[in-house]
Amino acid sequence: MVNLTIDDKQVTAPKSATIYEAAKMNGIKIPILCHDKKLKPFGACRMCLVEVEQMKGRQIPACTTPATEGMIIRTSTPDIVKARKMVLELLLLNHPLDCPVCDKSGDCDLQNLTYEYQVNSNRFTDEKFNHEIDYNNPLIERDMNRCVLCGKCARICDEIVSYGALTFIDRGIETKIGCEFDDGLNCEFCGSCIAVCPVGSLLARPFKHKARFWAMTKHPTVCGYCGTGCNLTLGVKDNKVLTTIYDEDQGFHKGQLCVRGRFGYQFINSTERLTTPLIKKNGRLIEATWDEALELVAARLSGGAAVAALATPRLTNEELTLFKKLLVENVGTNNFDHAAGYAHTAITEGFARSFGAKASSASILDIQKSDMLLVIKTDAYETHPVVGFEINMGVKNKGIKLTILSDKRGKLSKLPDATTLVHRPGSEVAILNAIAKTLIDDNLVAGSAATIAGYAELEKALAAFTADVVAAQCGISAADIKKLASEYAAAEKALIVFPVGQAYSGHTAELATALANLAILTGKYDKEGCGVLCLSEKNNSQGAIDMGFFAQDGGLNGVEILDACAKGTVKSLFIAGENPLTSYPNHTKVKAALEAVEFLVVSELFLTETAAMADVVLPVCSFAEKDGTFTSTDRRVQYFKSAIRKNVQIKSDYEIFSNLVTRLGGTVAPTPALLFTEIAANTPGYQGLSHVSLRKEGAFAAVATTPKFVIPQADAPFTVEVGKLALVTGSALYHNGTLSQYGEGPMHVCPENYIELSRTDASLYKISEGDVVTVSSASGSLQLKAKVTPRMPAGVVFSPYHFTAAPINTIWNGSPVTSVTVSK
Amino acid sequence: MNPITPIINGMKITLKHMFMKPVTLQYPTERPKVAKRFRGLHALNVSHDKAKCVACYLCPTVCPAKCITVEAAEDANHDKYASVYEIDMLRCIFCGYCVEACPVDAVKMTEEFELANYNRKDFIYSKERLLVK
Ligand code: SF4
Ligand code: SF4
Ligand code: SF4
Ligand code: SF4
Ligand code: SF4
Ligand code: FES
Repeated sequence: MVNLTIDDKQVTAPKSATIYEAAKMNGIKIPILCHDKKLKPFGACRMCLVEVEQMKGRQIPACTTPATEGMIIRTSTPDIVKARKMVLELLLLNHPLDCPVCDKSGDCDLQNLTYEYQVNSNRFTDEKFNHEIDYNNPLIERDMNRCVLCGKCARICDEIVSYGALTFIDRGIETKIGCEFDDGLNCEFCGSCIAVCPVGSLLARPFKHKARFWAMTKHPTVCGYCGTGCNLTLGVKDNKVLTTIYDEDQGFHKGQLCVRGRFGYQFINSTERLTTPLIKKNGRLIEATWDEALELVAARLSGGAAVAALATPRLTNEELTLFKKLLVENVGTNNFDHAAGYAHTAITEGFARSFGAKASSASILDIQKSDMLLVIKTDAYETHPVVGFEINMGVKNKGIKLTILSDKRGKLSKLPDATTLVHRPGSEVAILNAIAKTLIDDNLVAGSAATIAGYAELEKALAAFTADVVAAQCGISAADIKKLASEYAAAEKALIVFPVGQAYSGHTAELATALANLAILTGKYDKEGCGVLCLSEKNNSQGAIDMGFFAQDGGLNGVEILDACAKGTVKSLFIAGENPLTSYPNHTKVKAALEAVEFLVVSELFLTETAAMADVVLPVCSFAEKDGTFTSTDRRVQYFKSAIRKNVQIKSDYEIFSNLVTRLGGTVAPTPALLFTEIAANTPGYQGLSHVSLRKEGAFAAVATTPKFVIPQADAPFTVEVGKLALVTGSALYHNGTLSQYGEGPMHVCPENYIELSRTDASLYKISEGDVVTVSSASGSLQLKAKVTPRMPAGVVFSPYHFTAAPINTIWNGSPVTSVTVSK
Repeated sequence: MNPITPIINGMKITLKHMFMKPVTLQYPTERPKVAKRFRGLHALNVSHDKAKCVACYLCPTVCPAKCITVEAAEDANHDKYASVYEIDMLRCIFCGYCVEACPVDAVKMTEEFELANYNRKDFIYSKERLLVK
């Protein structure tokens, strides 16, 4: 700590603080324009000038100068005010001042400072800037005439997003922010640059002229897409969500969002939303009243084990608990599941047996506290971009070592000093076993490991997994395996991160077990910066597990439920928000199952292709129209409140389930808040939580671990049939599940399915970027647009699973790798 | 006081007025002369065949009666314009704040004061009706 005097006030501040930070901590406001607390000090604008007595009263920037012992600082002498006014005058000199038509007006730092410092005339005259404005980009409008050259956009895109799309180009008075070759912007569209731009240079195009900043009410909530659980603020006017608003104090990520969170909100007020219950009559869905629809559903639900349910892990904890109660207590069935029945098994089975807990023992906050990160699949960035930002910052700012084990290269591979070991698809578990064996053989295990249950069995079972044997099968060298093992063992703190999801069918309990073994062998768990972090796919995937909404106690899992529908043993199927026709493996099989089942009820926001097959369709609320809690991938339980009033014609899933419980003779807690007190009492780690206590900030639910070695079963190495390519499925950066198809932002930048292939394969098959190719597997064929990228290894192709128009499950039946042919 | 005096005084005034010019205006055959700064019905100024309004939302923001509805849109040249500009004359209190707030001199108040109508909905003045003809 250092002691200093700011404006005659004695204050203390940490040694690392700048003058600006020291002042801020002590409630003294110094104006800033180019500084952002998330970014490194830059000192471009000189708004933050202060006088330091020890420096002979010279004016120095507070945002870049470290606070030192005994400094005597003045923040607003007449001289400083004069200097700041001059800064503003000079900025306004070439500035267009089109506040009446500028969407930043009301939230503009330049405008606010101009007002505060009463700069109402200018001593200088000069021409206004005349840069061309980029109106063409669907998401980000760039008007460099308004730019104050603070560099925040370029810095955030580099320091946190690690994309580097923007930079200063040209020199002197011509300097502006631009892209490569002064071309259009083609980046990952996270919108971070828009968020930090202090003026109206970078604006969200979908929000263009929609409303004034001051006319919107700001509703803090939790993102409804992926399991990262980012906090976001919705801007609402006239009961419509018009935009997302940046709040640098929100969440662990300090307001950072990805493209889905920032630009994917349009589904909330989409005109395609269902507004009335529908009942199928003579093969057509006809509008019906809620009473009719619910009575029909209630009647068909009393069938015990002949009833099954699939729920999306986008429902709230309260809804999932109530749904489970309805099914178990009132219907009398254990047949319910989510996420196709396998996407959660890494946690429900893998972690459960290795760590004795159905949750990750590490949190996202551990990433930056670690010394080494082992990431399984570069896709971790695409599935959870804001977790990716944490990795970016850890690697770039803290020098954390990053090793990626992946079947393709990706954005994470480009980080400084990152090592990417590209292996043959589907061989993760074997490689991890080989690493475990190396750890044991080279005596790199922690002293306590041998005392943990299952050690001897594991040692025996790993006999076959010598680095040399595995290396020959997996396409990476034995030396790399050994090096990774020794690095992992040597790192003081090491964290393993891997994504799961419906398209990652290989990321199952076996993978989780194999990873857990590494952590347990080296004692790298249950400690800060250590452990295994499983990135669950949807916003409440972990919540669904915590609420026990998955197949257990003899109930059928997701895939088995569909099989049972096809066989006729399940007669009524309730699908709450899932869209298996697009997102579950094997389209033909899913379709046959949904056709075969006697009674299908779907509760949905939209008339998806699954809903279109239903006998009863129930329109429900989105996350913006209801209250409840979501549990993020690292067990942060977060409360969110409705941002808009729902259409009176629709009901929340909570209301539907509680109505059905009542119809079937049960009783329910009247509000989600009351039900949550029950949940808190009965769920391990949730004790003491309540809607009220979570109102301000989410809370981590504790995870207690008891380690055990379990033998992971490695599949036989996948060999591609001769003359074919290995198809791996996954998630695209711009999408999450199938919901993002209804978000205009994601659809602007990634509107259709594609197949990514290497340059080698592209030239082999004479395919060029953008060609429509036919991809065929044993189960079917599909027309997809080709994307030729340097990141794919030869012989491997990648395709995401989100798209209803060209669902990858027509050629993918759930196996981690599929042999396909690609032809023009 | 003599009880007759007030009556005489009253009659004096009456008599005086019999020879003065009457104040009553024979409206509608006679028209009042409206002062230059009278605040009557609004009008939207036009320049280059277009409403000057750039849909900055300052007038709806400042309006104490909250009777102005503006919706902004982007035209083919990417300029901002008011796709909707409506004033609910039933709620307007003729304070003139909107005129004062407008940064581009797009809205003014005219001398038009005859605003009676038969239907409530006719009191909602659309952009089309407000444009200076
Ligand atoms: S950037 Fe700020 S000061 Fe410049 S026109 Fe926009 S609102 Fe006005
Ligand atoms: S949207 Fe994100 S990736 Fe694109 S330029 Fe802005 S910060 Fe960079
Ligand atoms: S575009 Fe915005 S954030 Fe980027 S340098 Fe200009 S003013 Fe700063
Ligand atoms: S989709 Fe995931 S990473 Fe993106 S903003 Fe939402 S929670 Fe965060
Ligand atoms: S203040 Fe003027 S420019 Fe702004 S909306 Fe009103 S009339 Fe239009
Ligand atoms: S805020 Fe310190 S120089 Fe810009």
